[in-house]
Amino acid sequence: MVKDVFTFIVGGKAGEGTKKAGSVVAQIFIEKGLQVFEMEDYMSLIRGGHNFSVVSTANRWISSHYMKANLVVNSDKRSYENHKNELADNGVIIYNSDEMEGEKGIGIPFFSMAKKYKFGKLMFGVGAVAILAAYINYTKEKLNNIIKREYSKGEEDNISYASEVYDFFSSQFETKFTLENGDKKRPILTGNQAISFGAIAGGLDTYYGYPMTPASSILHTLAENASEFGLAVVHPESEIAAINMAIGASFTGAKSVVGTSGGGFALMVEGYSLAGITEAPVLVILSMRPGPATGVPTYTEQADLEFALVAGHGDFLRIVASPSTIHDAFFLTAEMLDLVWKFQTPGILLTEKHLSESFMTVELNIENAKWAESKLFKGKENYKRYLYTDDGVSPLLFPPSNQIIKWSSYEHDENGYTTENADEIKKMHDKRHKKVESIEEYLKKNINTVNIFGKEGPLIFTYGSTTMSVLEALYYGDIKARVIQPIYLNPFPIWEIKKFQDTSIIVVEMSKSGQFANLLKGKAGLRVEKLINKYDGRPFDPIELSIKLKEVF
Amino acid sequence: MDIKELDTSVENTWCPGCGNFAILTAVKKAMVKLEEKGINKNNIVISSGIGCHAKIFDYLNLSGVYSLHGRDIATIQGIKIGNPDLKVITFSGDGNGMGEGLAHTMFAAKRNMDMTMILHHNDVYALTTGQFTPLTEKGWKGPSTPRGSFEEPFNPLLLMIVAGATFLARCYSGEITHLTDIIIQAVEHKGFSFIEVIQPAVSYHSWAEYKDKIEFLDKEPSNLEEAILSIRNNHKFTLGVFYRNIEKHVYHEQLYGDHNPITKKSLREKRIKKIEEIINRI
Repeated sequence: MVKDVFTFIVGGKAGEGTKKAGSVVAQIFIEKGLQVFEMEDYMSLIRGGHNFSVVSTANRWISSHYMKANLVVNSDKRSYENHKNELADNGVIIYNSDEMEGEKGIGIPFFSMAKKYKFGKLMFGVGAVAILAAYINYTKEKLNNIIKREYSKGEEDNISYASEVYDFFSSQFETKFTLENGDKKRPILTGNQAISFGAIAGGLDTYYGYPMTPASSILHTLAENASEFGLAVVHPESEIAAINMAIGASFTGAKSVVGTSGGGFALMVEGYSLAGITEAPVLVILSMRPGPATGVPTYTEQADLEFALVAGHGDFLRIVASPSTIHDAFFLTAEMLDLVWKFQTPGILLTEKHLSESFMTVELNIENAKWAESKLFKGKENYKRYLYTDDGVSPLLFPPSNQIIKWSSYEHDENGYTTENADEIKKMHDKRHKKVESIEEYLKKNINTVNIFGKEGPLIFTYGSTTMSVLEALYYGDIKARVIQPIYLNPFPIWEIKKFQDTSIIVVEMSKSGQFANLLKGKAGLRVEKLINKYDGRPFDPIELSIKLKEVF
Repeated sequence: MDIKELDTSVENTWCPGCGNFAILTAVKKAMVKLEEKGINKNNIVISSGIGCHAKIFDYLNLSGVYSLHGRDIATIQGIKIGNPDLKVITFSGDGNGMGEGLAHTMFAAKRNMDMTMILHHNDVYALTTGQFTPLTEKGWKGPSTPRGSFEEPFNPLLLMIVAGATFLARCYSGEITHLTDIIIQAVEHKGFSFIEVIQPAVSYHSWAEYKDKIEFLDKEPSNLEEAILSIRNNHKFTLGVFYRNIEKHVYHEQLYGDHNPITKKSLREKRIKKIEEIINRI
């Protein structure tokens, strides 16, 4: 066992219910009052391949899955081969004896036991859940309740099959494992669910998304909840349409968000620049996967950071922020929606597959979410959309109105009419640029722009979901260090960071070229002594990362 | 409303004699008549792409978004989705709506988005010095096709009827009264209205090229099949309403029913409470 963590892995071909089994097992841990981190490793296909869920649980805040498992259940040989050497001390591996002979572990004839039921082999996931229940001595009665609640189809068959597998496993394996109960039941969310509900809590009215992993489940979550909250959730013809629709909706005062991954955002960049000059508040959720181009669709990376920071032609204020945890993703989404409206400019919530699609138990004080608000026109004088103001932010007015409201992609005068006049071009540039200073002032006074964990020890800089991996690795390795995680990447909170300029730092991130390290060097003049980077699509494992950290300390 | 209320102080830089002037005049006249019919100009929002056509945005004292080349069709749909109470019109040119923005145009028709699209059809990329467009007849010698273009042109009405538009008309800059009347009908039509306006770009084409070819449809086709045949069989200078369908559902009503996310926005407290319920259920 990895210290105080218990890990369950279920693996098999796509379509066999491994993901569902992972989430049902997470529910068992939640019922026991434990905290959970669950990572889905799956391939870009519908049937076949090798998919697995890793569910790690502890009676404390846990911020990563562990690849060393206490119990692994496999439906096929490929999954078995992948995981047989990844066991924790005293870990147990289960193979499907209908498919293979295992050199170690316990064979269960999952498929032949399922033969008599309507769903047959597709019930493997239920069998895997039953094994976990038997292994931790979770009563059949409780198991049945969970199965009834979690599986909508074939209730009786599922219960009967689970019971058979439970008994068969118990007859083969007598040593029961005691998993202590935790303190209380908590909800479990994916990062994309947190982002979706964060956006709703922040005032979202319309969402536009073209399906692209790993952002698609934002579209799905919002679509499912659209009627409940009176939202428009639209799946248009392209990402180009998505962002331009969002800009149109902003013109009416609708709080609008779009979501995509790197390739889709590449298509949105033209519209992102339009949002810059029209001063349209639009929030982009950019969930990174390994690139370039199609890259590795269902895995994780942090290599779109530099792209996100500079996307769009021309000079304009771009807000970029990245949440570290699923809890923070909820609040940061609402906060970013508020900021793009306060400063009338586009912004990016930058995240990764690892946050978007992993599950984590959370305690959310939803009441604390920001509510997007903007400077509104309330005067009697003639309205000027691009009125020159001290802070560069012009009051907004929405149609229908007896005033004329003109937003323009051309350089424009205060009224929004096209201009090519040298003086006016310069003045409008200056006006927009004032917002850069204004937002820095605002962030300094009002917003937590950097998280700092730990009080002593060497300095580790990281960002996004890699922060969770770092924190778990420090806990696992019992390493004393200070972790500095800039939440805001543009404007970069130099006012918080500059105090670290004299100390050499270690950077942990998920890109080949060290994009985050380069940002720290370039923007903040930090001395990067060592870069620990991973770029194989898989998130850091806390054990692996703690060894790497110890090597550099 | 005095038609002068629709003027702006912006200098007009269309070539003298350009067909766009007639479109501007017809739009203004239509706005005055629409107001008499109860559609107030405060409720009308416009968009345009980029090109000579798009300058109309600065010349009309109406609210809206001067969008990107081809993207105005997406922008205007976002406006309608944002606040479905608004009446929305977008102005487009050949390259804008039938080239760069073709996918958006097709999908706006497919959705039967309740909007009007006015296509300033002049057969040329005028503002970028005379290249062939998706609608230019084969053989056009422009700076990008010095040997003559060798692509066949699209027929915009045929594309739009197949895509799902529910109001289709062809007009001509030289027939302002007809154009005005059609714009009124298009704006009043509930659904995707598409008006192709044949319009000479006088630096490249003369009015004389069009004048003698213009004809009016004898009779408005009464169903989809007749409309398709009529668009195919009549030559491309035939004016009139080719198709009208008021049966088909419009997009925003299917999306929302009678909901409006701006005027009937769900309040913060209500949202917080519901999110709590949902998260605890997950």
